[in-house]
Amino acid sequence: MTGAWHGAAGRWVRADLRARRGQAALTIMAVAGIVTALIVAATLLEDGTNPWRGLFERSHGAHIWLHTKDVPDVTALRALNGVTDVAGPYRSAPATLVDHGRRVPIALQETPAAFPPVARPLLREGRWLDARRPDAVVVERSFARALGLRPGSPFTVTGLNGATHTLTVAGLAESGDQGFYPEWTPGLAWTLGQTLTLVEPAQGRTEMVTGLRLADAATTDLVVQRAVFTLRNQVQRVSTWREVRASMELDNRLLGLLLALFGVAGLVAAALALANAAGGRVLTQLRDIATLKSLGFTRGQVTRMLVAEHGTLGLVGIVLGLVAARLITATALSETVAVPLSPGPLAAIAAGTAAMVLVAVWLPAWRGGRTPPIPAAPAAPPRGHLSRLARVALLVRLPPALVLGARDAFTRRTPALLTICGVAIPMMMITIGLGCWATLDDFARHPESVGQAAALSVRPGNLTAVEAHDRAMADPDVVAAYPGVELDALVPWQTRTVRARALGTSTEPYPFPVAEGRMFRDAGEAVAGQGLLDLLGVRIGDRVRMTIGGTPLIVQIVGRVIEPEQDGEVLSVGIDSLAAKDAVPPQFYALALRSGADPAQVRARLQAQGLEVSQAVNPADRLSVIRVIIVALVVVLALIGLANLLTAIALGLRDHVLDLAVLKAMGLTPRQVMATLVTGTGLLVTAGALLGASAGAFWSRSLIDMEGRGSGVGAGIGRAPTPGMFAAAVLVAVGAALLVALIPARRAARAQVPVTAR
Amino acid sequence: MTGTPVVRAVNLVKIYQTGGLPVPAVRGVDLTVQPGEFVAIMGPSGSGKSTLVHMLGGLDVRTSGEIWLDGKRADTLSESGWAVLRRQKVGFVFQFFNLVANMTVADNVELPALLGGASPKHARERREYLLGELSLTDRAGASPAQLSGGEQQRVALARALANQPRLLLADEPTGNLDSRNTRDVLRLLGRVHGQGQTIVLVTHDARVASMADRVVSLLDGQIVDDGAIGRTRRRPGGTAGDVVELRG
Repeated sequence: MTGAWHGAAGRWVRADLRARRGQAALTIMAVAGIVTALIVAATLLEDGTNPWRGLFERSHGAHIWLHTKDVPDVTALRALNGVTDVAGPYRSAPATLVDHGRRVPIALQETPAAFPPVARPLLREGRWLDARRPDAVVVERSFARALGLRPGSPFTVTGLNGATHTLTVAGLAESGDQGFYPEWTPGLAWTLGQTLTLVEPAQGRTEMVTGLRLADAATTDLVVQRAVFTLRNQVQRVSTWREVRASMELDNRLLGLLLALFGVAGLVAAALALANAAGGRVLTQLRDIATLKSLGFTRGQVTRMLVAEHGTLGLVGIVLGLVAARLITATALSETVAVPLSPGPLAAIAAGTAAMVLVAVWLPAWRGGRTPPIPAAPAAPPRGHLSRLARVALLVRLPPALVLGARDAFTRRTPALLTICGVAIPMMMITIGLGCWATLDDFARHPESVGQAAALSVRPGNLTAVEAHDRAMADPDVVAAYPGVELDALVPWQTRTVRARALGTSTEPYPFPVAEGRMFRDAGEAVAGQGLLDLLGVRIGDRVRMTIGGTPLIVQIVGRVIEPEQDGEVLSVGIDSLAAKDAVPPQFYALALRSGADPAQVRARLQAQGLEVSQAVNPADRLSVIRVIIVALVVVLALIGLANLLTAIALGLRDHVLDLAVLKAMGLTPRQVMATLVTGTGLLVTAGALLGASAGAFWSRSLIDMEGRGSGVGAGIGRAPTPGMFAAAVLVAVGAALLVALIPARRAARAQVPVTAR
Repeated sequence: MTGTPVVRAVNLVKIYQTGGLPVPAVRGVDLTVQPGEFVAIMGPSGSGKSTLVHMLGGLDVRTSGEIWLDGKRADTLSESGWAVLRRQKVGFVFQFFNLVANMTVADNVELPALLGGASPKHARERREYLLGELSLTDRAGASPAQLSGGEQQRVALARALANQPRLLLADEPTGNLDSRNTRDVLRLLGRVHGQGQTIVLVTHDARVASMADRVVSLLDGQIVDDGAIGRTRRRPGGTAGDVVELRG
């Protein structure tokens, strides 16, 4: 019985799909596009905020590194349960890199001239080690960047015995076994064994490092215990993949929240497109469905059949999306993304979309199932009347096509409303995406609005603080130098520390972007990020007691600042609020540059002066992956809007097919008929686009601020799209819609329309 | 003509609610159709004749009264119950043919058999037989839009007969056809009836009604006349005068 039912329903579904291949393909593409965009976005997010995973996978890294005095028993280590492979043992020696009078610790590690199979460094620039050139070494990339080293640059290292050697950078490499500098110190250089012996001839002052690659990362702790036991008292130090990963992780709460917002927006838009496509199809088929019911299809059978038909399209879209995302990450993004998305988020995206697909098609299918079984029942003729406005328009002799089109547009309120919504909702989401874009632009253009008034910060290194200050201020592009100290602050009732940052003085404070309240003016006053306010559960005006750098302090929080660092869990005070032992001398100076100055050039000049200079990373650069996602989503949303529009046009034509015959009979030319149809659609689209764009512009600020608040950065970062962007988006949407509307209108205007129903 | 009646309607009432106002369409109709009978229901527009056959086939829900199909009470059935009953015992032919536009003629005819639980092979054999009977074999692969009105209605008839229903309900089957096609369709109905098919046909065309064994006249939702036509009077191509005489 069931099989037979499948036979009848199956035939109908197949026939229906055959009859509307294009529309079905569009539906599949919309769903596939959303799934692809979500997966690619999530992959980029995962990879961008946690580069360790990709690096470790590609460098075939070791989970555990054992530092021992002598060569360990490799056979015993390899025999440990859970260990699949061993890297090394390699000799490693500490040294000091001398750079413009600065002394930076560096670790030299022996590496074979051929790439090892386990813990293989990934060469990014330049060449790998060459036995013929023993003075050439490969430097870890983040370390080289911090020091301004490039392939070919010479640098000097001093061994523990005080001898100085000049080495050359052969290449820059990355590895999943070495964290990023400066979070992971000391910096690393891979050298040949002979080079290492040259710098550190004394065997007693080197150590051996051995990497263990495990079958299962979860067994790390157990294997560490066994290895330490196996090697008895030889092990001096152990490091694991967890610490490396932690040094590479970026705070990604804002990014994650923005992505979640887009994900939900995309899913809602896709659900809307599916519901619209399925609903439109069902509405145009009511007569066929009624016929099926008169033949003996039950309500449940019709509903199930429609869910199966439209749901299958959605599920095919999901599968295609999964495949496309895999292909894109494997080919187009193979440089940036090493590992596909982890199974958790992948399953969540697939299951979430599948659930959304089923919910979205259920309603139209249910509506189809409730069709009364009398196929002869005529569809209610379009009701409505010539509005006063239309009469006036006719009186002033506007072209009749315009008047009739305008009348058609609003005659049937419900379909008109659906068309407007179908355009307005994707348009609103596109505008919100543009708002995110504008916010990022604002970050990049006005870094001072996110707390980065100072583009550079200098550390005195081996100079005195006063010297450093004077040398920095001597640069023509430096406008101000604010003394600063960063300390750990112990929060009452919390078992962890937050960052306390003293920058500028109470009388001459650093220009923090104050979003609420006011700037601190006295010692004992402080401003905080949203994250800290949430963590402590305090409000502006409250006093908090904290232990900053070991000294208990009571500060009054007088304002909230935009705080992109540490998830907003940062307390900022004037340097004079701190105890003198912490504040003098300052650890660093934050340098505000003349507007228009190039931070990189100033940095190079100051580095030449022997200062240790670091450049602030703009949050917009960290969030740049969002821009890719915005573009992708705008494309998919535009497709969805067009799909909605096509459905609306098809429905409109169905309702107007009789009117068209009448209009022609009254003497309208095909061109006028076409103009009537395009006007009808165009008015609704314009209304929808304007409405959606306005709502998006209105909401985007508060939505982004909400995200900002949730991420700890704090409200006050949101920007609406610029008027130019806004106008361009609306114009492009309306223009594209009119072009799309033109094709079916042209066909309908030329078609021979029968006067009788079917 | 004895045994269990194929259709028995007892005091059947249908009241539509239009804008809150009750509009009675059928007001207490009693009708019994015996197996093998060919009943024509006549009446002017709005007399309730279409509503009556729709209720007999379960397409429309009765307001009150009883409907018995093949000896079983049917008016208390749910919508799904009616659907199952229809696919087994009732075939419908409509004025506007109502072929499923996206499906071929063959698929349209096989659909009820498949729905009724027949195997695809059996459904195909039945379709080949029916299309052969209605001389449509060569149009099996065509889509309904490629057929003339008469051909479409013959396909609709084949579809209605696919499951060998106890009752064939035809709602103005010739209302949309020219006289030649009308004649063809009527001839086919006559042939089917000759093979013992019970038919209830709605029409406002006296010539069509003259094909039937019995003509039931409806006016304002009530039966005003119910009479058998003598075999001698029933002849195809009868003149208008014959009908006037008949109804007189």
